[in-house]
Amino acid sequence: MNFALQLITAGLAVGSVYSLIALGIVLIYKCTGVVNFGQGGFLVLGAYLTYALRAAEIPTPLAVVGSAAGMAIVGMAAERLMLRPMARAPLVAIMMATLGMMILINAVCLMIWGSDQRAYPALFPDGALDMFGIFITYNYIAAGILSIGLSLGFLAFYRFTNLGLMQRCTANNTKAALAIGIHTGNQNCFAWSMSAALAGLGGTLLATLNGLSLGLGSIGLAAFSVVVLGGLDSLAGAVVAGLLLGVLQTLTAGMLTPILENFLRAYTSVYSVGALQQVVPYCLLVVILLVRPQGIFGRKGTERL
Amino acid sequence: MTFVATDVSIRFGGVHAVDRLSLSVSPGEILGLIGPNGAGKTTFINCISGASRVDTGSATWDGEQLVGRAPHEIIRRGVVRTFQNVSSLHDLTVLDIVKLGEAAGRSSRGLLERFWSSERDRENGLTETVLRPLRLADIANQPLQTLSYGLRKAVDLARALAARPKLLLLDEPVAGLTSHESATMAEVIRSVRDRIGCAVIMVEHKMHVVNSTCDRIVVMASGAKIFEGSSQEAQKDPEVRRVYLGEA
Repeated sequence: MNFALQLITAGLAVGSVYSLIALGIVLIYKCTGVVNFGQGGFLVLGAYLTYALRAAEIPTPLAVVGSAAGMAIVGMAAERLMLRPMARAPLVAIMMATLGMMILINAVCLMIWGSDQRAYPALFPDGALDMFGIFITYNYIAAGILSIGLSLGFLAFYRFTNLGLMQRCTANNTKAALAIGIHTGNQNCFAWSMSAALAGLGGTLLATLNGLSLGLGSIGLAAFSVVVLGGLDSLAGAVVAGLLLGVLQTLTAGMLTPILENFLRAYTSVYSVGALQQVVPYCLLVVILLVRPQGIFGRKGTERL
Repeated sequence: MTFVATDVSIRFGGVHAVDRLSLSVSPGEILGLIGPNGAGKTTFINCISGASRVDTGSATWDGEQLVGRAPHEIIRRGVVRTFQNVSSLHDLTVLDIVKLGEAAGRSSRGLLERFWSSERDRENGLTETVLRPLRLADIANQPLQTLSYGLRKAVDLARALAARPKLLLLDEPVAGLTSHESATMAEVIRSVRDRIGCAVIMVEHKMHVVNSTCDRIVVMASGAKIFEGSSQEAQKDPEVRRVYLGEA
């Protein structure tokens, strides 16, 4: 029982980081109708930026904030330089461009930092907290608290502030927003910069848990199953689905995999089943798409004829 | 401060949607813009509010050119419009919509204020100045999609008023309303004019509303102005009669 709880808490921490990254994808989708396949790129770049800032001996809090701010500028630049000129292009072309952006970002990171796995600077103190027999390292605690806090803060911002209201209006009906005098271009730009900043923070936090390499971007892909699971247009859905996926992954790695391996070792010559937790999100994705294509919290798409 | 449109033309392919239209409105005046379907009335409103391009001509408010500006720039100059068909912004409430209108109308604000303006004060202010006069105060927190068409039109007007208009462009404000709602709306439009003294251009088909509300009317047909004057005179004008009723 303790072991399961241990896995669940770790899963919640990882899952909350997924939520953070997924929030960014939902935000861009709601505002512009574009599914940003480049989110993984933002994630990697954010993690490397923190790494670079830490390497330059800038204190941790400043490094984290600095990397988020840097990512906000990158997101803004992406909107200005890539999305805005493509405003009248077909949606599929825009999405392909976001994929291209991710490849570009990965290449830039490869050029600067190389392909080796790097030891990520310890952003949070070593050690673990003993909570009723459950051990959680400070890394996980910090990642969990930070991403849940950021997610909730972001949801509150979206709900209660003026700018959040303009964001919601643009997300709701871009044409109407334009017609009633909202500068939708600026709103889109803001959505991209927020999204990139959230992804960058998510990347930093993931790197503290998993170490830093270019492969981090593929973890970002898990955020897509989160988004589909929660519903592409639901911010709250992204948060809940992120936590769910995180828990499912750790439970798979910690419990399902050993059970399966023991069984296979006893009856067959198969020794290991590999990283089953990487498969789980996509299985889930397929099932969700079959049963509830709009996601758990998503609104069913309706189109007026 | 007057609105002056000079020789405004808009073509869609070979169609002259608006053909060298000139008109002017002063503060405190309600100008009725009428004409048969397809006369170009809404197209004209669209181009003043920045939603549609203008091919030739100029439209100025207080000496400042409006042609070629984006909608969000025009609204900040106090030129605010309402819509013939109000689209639903599904989960936004009446108060949200009005706040959006106010935010769009404000010329420039610091970044800090965008995040942390005193919400409570703002909401109370908007409720008193905009929602209560339009009898929307009690439903301020209802989502727009739960309201009747007539109420949505009223919310659209409330949104425009929250932007503090100096020139109010009303595109068929009573279309689709019941006769009772129409009468109320006409009364509201007059009281808005009296209270804030703005200039109003009102596109409308319902002649009894036009007669009771407008100080002056302009009749359009096939994009061009064919008459300007009082509504009593318009009814006697042979050209207007021909356009509306056909050849005698």
